[in-house]
Amino acid sequence: MLQKKICMIGDFAVGKTSLVARFVTEGFSDKYMTTVGVKIDTKIVTLTGGQEVKLILWDIAGNDALTTAATSYLRGAAGYLLVVDGTRRPTWESALQLQKAVMAAIGEKPFIFLLNKSDLSEQWEITKSMVNEQLAQGHTIIHTSAKMGKGVEQAFEELAEKMLVS
Amino acid sequence: MAAIPSSVVKYVRTLWMSEMVITYLFVNSDGNLQEWGGHPRYYGLSNLTAGQPVTEQIFFLEGLLPANHTEVLQFMNMGGSTAHVHILPCHHGTWILLLDATVEHERQQQIQQQVNELSLLNYRQTQLLNQIEEARQGLLEEKQHLEEIIEVKSRLIASLSHELRTPLSSIIGYTDLLDKAKQEDEKTTNYLTTVKNNASYLLGLIDNILDQARLEAGKVELQPSHCDVKQLLNDLKALFFPAAQDKKLELEFTLQRNIPSKIMVDSLRLRQILINLVSNGIKFTQVGQIKLELAWEKDKLIFLVQDTGPGISPEAQEKVFIPFHREAETKHIQGTGLGLTISYQLVNLMGGELKVVESSPSGTTFSGFVVAPEVYHQGIVALTQEGNIIPQISVDAKILVVDDNSVIRMLTEIYLKTGGYTVITACSGEEGIEIAIKEQPNLVLMDLLMPDMDGYIAVQRLREQQFIEPIIALSASNFDSDYEYALNVGCNGYLTKPVDATKLLEKVALILKG
Ligand SMILES: Nc1nc2c(ncn2[C@@H]2O[C@H](COP(=O)(O)OP(=O)(O)O)[C@@H](O)[C@H]2O)c(=O)[nH]1
Ligand SMILES: [Mg+2]
Repeated sequence: MLQKKICMIGDFAVGKTSLVARFVTEGFSDKYMTTVGVKIDTKIVTLTGGQEVKLILWDIAGNDALTTAATSYLRGAAGYLLVVDGTRRPTWESALQLQKAVMAAIGEKPFIFLLNKSDLSEQWEITKSMVNEQLAQGHTIIHTSAKMGKGVEQAFEELAEKMLVS
Repeated sequence: MAAIPSSVVKYVRTLWMSEMVITYLFVNSDGNLQEWGGHPRYYGLSNLTAGQPVTEQIFFLEGLLPANHTEVLQFMNMGGSTAHVHILPCHHGTWILLLDATVEHERQQQIQQQVNELSLLNYRQTQLLNQIEEARQGLLEEKQHLEEIIEVKSRLIASLSHELRTPLSSIIGYTDLLDKAKQEDEKTTNYLTTVKNNASYLLGLIDNILDQARLEAGKVELQPSHCDVKQLLNDLKALFFPAAQDKKLELEFTLQRNIPSKIMVDSLRLRQILINLVSNGIKFTQVGQIKLELAWEKDKLIFLVQDTGPGISPEAQEKVFIPFHREAETKHIQGTGLGLTISYQLVNLMGGELKVVESSPSGTTFSGFVVAPEVYHQGIVALTQEGNIIPQISVDAKILVVDDNSVIRMLTEIYLKTGGYTVITACSGEEGIEIAIKEQPNLVLMDLLMPDMDGYIAVQRLREQQFIEPIIALSASNFDSDYEYALNVGCNGYLTKPVDATKLLEKVALILKG
């Protein structure tokens, strides 16, 4: 079966681990458990064409700047998800920076911005104009909630589709 | 230093190896798993099959092979354990070493957890503080907005009261004059009394509304002076005697013996408070008596007003001090429902308290106090201001009256003439200046609110043109700020309309005396 490596990128506590957990085991925990290093999970998805692909998910510890160690985590990735905590604006800026750093490390690979924690709408700090600016550059943005399960499957599947056409 | 013997090195190595739980795998150049050793199950790697592609058995290697240089993946979490993964390319393939880092991972995890949680907490706290600051700013703006509205409102009331006071003052003035003309006809006297009573009532009403507006706008400034409490009580007795007699009510006004002869208090305001409370009692009481007791203790003037009226229900007691509040059963009694509110606010302003102590169907007792320290003085201190009519001796004085309202002009002229003064008049600011410069009167009475050139400007111009005689401002406004402004532009005195003869002559004499 076809296998593809996907990296979860983003500041700490944006919900990378939670998104993977929601996708793989369909669970969620409110308790925050800091990830140190990297954790591997896999899940098979069926694409629209009926093709099956095994996604190898790298849940990498959130870092403000990608360290050298993190660069070695990225090697071989076919695509990545840039996760933002919609209730913390600085994590959006981090995601934009990380995107550049990742591209410098592994070249142009498909990626999607995930605006996570969309269930916390009254603490939302990401404005429409910030989103529009990225959309205008042709980037994909999906609102997700690992807590409610909203947009999670869509995010992984859309990335998988992008990776297979590229 | 001697070299470490190889036996010791070997011993240390076995010790170290057993501690590290080392696991290794070899992948050939085709990417197939060739051999392994150690404890792959410790990392959840079971059912390894030699000769099969390694990436289908060990998923994290997807995309990493072939490696062209040594690579280390720190803290790879697999099967509940954690390893540092070393990828070592060699001639025929790749060595993969898994060095146990579970304990170190746990330690790092705890440290990082604390760091991250602290950072999150810090962020939320900052956000909250920002929100609080924003809310505070919003409230501040709202407050300013409200203050502006109140300011506009009290200005409106002031100008309205000017409109009302001016015609009223002429009504009262003319009634006075008619009264003095002494018509012995009973009918006329009755009519006149009615007109006068109604006009006085209206004036009282306007004053109350004005007072309330000023209290709301925080515009009332106290003017404490020496107050003779005994005299005050006598005045009140005289004031209320006719009303009490009309209703056959008994008045019992008492003064505690230890009251100092002079206390420092805004006596006008004190009088207003007591008048409100007593007249309220008289208004609601049909039979029995009204009691007023004054006492003094430690810089406080304590008062108690008791009536034998129908009482105030407990629910209503909570609201008696709210503006314009009237109980349904008292709707037939005249009044704005402002008297108690004003008293309440004035008492607070004067550092005191006012409350309903008791109320039952057989009567109501209000009590309270205001701050009023004793005045110590030796010898004779000039007793000015209050109630003392200064004997009219000055003659020959020429007074200029400037007012755009012909009725007021005429009335003032009549009053002044009864005082023996020579009067000249002007009906605008411009004319006033012209006449004042030409005629050089001994005193000018200047209306402050006139169309075109108002009194403030006229006074300013006069002072600029070296006019040095005293000027008394006439105004319908009771605002302290207007009063101060008038003095600032060069007035020597200030009278509020409607001016009665006594007040006018008293002030004029005082100012002329220097
Ligand atoms: N309300 C809400 N909380 C979330 C969501 N996703 C993650 N969290 C919480 O955010 C915290 C950090 O999540 P985690 O997955 O550990 O973030 P990571 O550091 O990026 O892996 C945890 O307390 C999660 O419970 C979400 O969609 N909604
Ligand atoms: Mg995590």
